[in-house]
Formats: sequence, C-alpha cells, structure tokens
Amino acid sequence: MKALVVDDSLTIRRIVIKALGMAGIKDTAEAADGEEAMKAVQADSFDLILLDWNMPKMTGIETLRALRSAGNKTPVIMVTTEAEKSRVIEAIKSGANDYLIKPFSPDQLASKVKNIVGAPA
Amino acid sequence: MPSRLQSMAKGVATVDVKYINPFVESVDNVFQMMLNVTPQRQKLKLGTGQPNGAAVTSLVGISGKVQGVVVLRLPHETALELAKRMLGTEVNVINAEVVDAVSEIVNMIAGSAKAKFEYDPPLELGLPTVVQGNDYNVKYPSGTTWLEIPFESEAGNFSMELTFEEN
Repeated sequence: MKALVVDDSLTIRRIVIKALGMAGIKDTAEAADGEEAMKAVQADSFDLILLDWNMPKMTGIETLRALRSAGNKTPVIMVTTEAEKSRVIEAIKSGANDYLIKPFSPDQLASKVKNIVGAPA
Repeated sequence: MPSRLQSMAKGVATVDVKYINPFVESVDNVFQMMLNVTPQRQKLKLGTGQPNGAAVTSLVGISGKVQGVVVLRLPHETALELAKRMLGTEVNVINAEVVDAVSEIVNMIAGSAKAKFEYDPPLELGLPTVVQGNDYNVKYPSGTTWLEIPFESEAGNFSMELTFEEN
C-alpha cells in the first residue's frame, strides 16, 4: 500500500508520514504542491492521497478537482487549516473522502487512514 | 467628530473583544496539540513593530470581509525548542527546517482562528512569510492598530501581534 503526501510544509509531510507509519503504511511519496502531486499520480499509482489546501502554484482543492475530472478515484483525505464547515462541504462535494483539520494528533490521522483504506496486513 | 485617539481607543476595544480571543484560543490549541506546550497569556499591549529580541518572525495575511495580519515573534531559543518538538529531532541552529516549522505554526494559528469567525465566504489565508534575524522594523500602515499578546511557556517566551479591520 502506497500513499502520496501533498503539503508545502516539510514539517507537516514528516508528521503525516509518521502517522501513516502508525497506520501501517510505510511506502510513501511526497509532493510540495498540486502540480507536483499531479505529476506524481501520472507517474505512479497510489492507494491514498493526503492533501493540504493552501499551497503555492496549485491549491489542494484545485488538485482534488483535477484528479476527479481526470477520472482518478484514489481516496483523498484533506489535511488542512481550512476549518470552516463550508470548506469541508466544498471538499466533500469535490470528491474528498475525508477531512482532517490542522492541528491534529498523529492518532487522529492514523484513525482516519484506517477508516478509509483499512489496516494493512 | 471623534479624535484620532478616541478612534484608536475604540478600535482597540473592538479588536480585543471580537478578534483577539479566537487567536489566543488557537495559540493554546496549536501549541498543546502539535507541540505539547501550554502557553500562558500575558497582558495585552499596543504593538510597536520592533523585533523585541525575536530571532525568527513569522507572518501570515488574512483577507476577505476582514483584513489582517498575524505575526509570531520567537526568540532564538524558543524557535529551536518549538522546532525540536514539532520535528521530533534535535536542532541547534535556525535552518530551513526550523523556518518551515515556525511558518507552519503561524499558519495553523491563523487558519484555526479565522474558522472561528465562520464568515461566508470564508476568510482567505495567505502563504506564511518568515523573517530571520532582528535587524528590521515593521512600518505599520497609518490608521491601523496593532496589538501584541506576549506568552510565557515551558518552551520559552514568545509574542503574537495582530491587526484587523473590517472591509
């Protein structure tokens, strides 16, 4: 099982990767913005994408819409500081499978990951 | 017509009640959740634009129905301690990793606070900027009021400065 972690913050990517490890996912790739993420999904296949909202070049919501428009059905969890209800609704309507608001604990993220993809053997 | 002083005083009172508390709550939330630190808020004062001993200053803008800037000022030791806690590794110098960690802290504080206002459409968050060093002076636009909230914590002292205006 392989996950793509998309966030312009190296710090958050590290924290997310650590939480993924707690959920049993050790195989990860990283992207620092939406454009890098789109290139990554064209070059490789993923079982899960963790996606920030506010990023340079291409935002998370733009990336999510581009993925779904291209027919990509990989489960996406938005991991973002955007905490308004209207943002959550916008993301879910655009095809996000779940939504986690920063700040978060690694346990919270691991729990959401397990709910989406199950616990890897 | 109210004097400039009266207008400023009125502005301070409005900012204090309506805009300050969500940011203080967000500092508590972010520091406790991500850093295992419990900050203690100190007495509110007018911001000066001076670094006041800060080695790292992180800023992020908020725009929409309300426009403002959130500034986090960290002394050298506080910046290193917060980065160490966030990254989970020892850091001894202010490098790109520390700058990244500090910018994410102010990003989470601002994002968490702006959501508490629940504006429709939501306020927009800019990308954080980090200034390293203390040889600078922020020139505040005329007519804006900046408030400084100092904090003490087991990770060291730091302060947050805010300005907010309704459009």
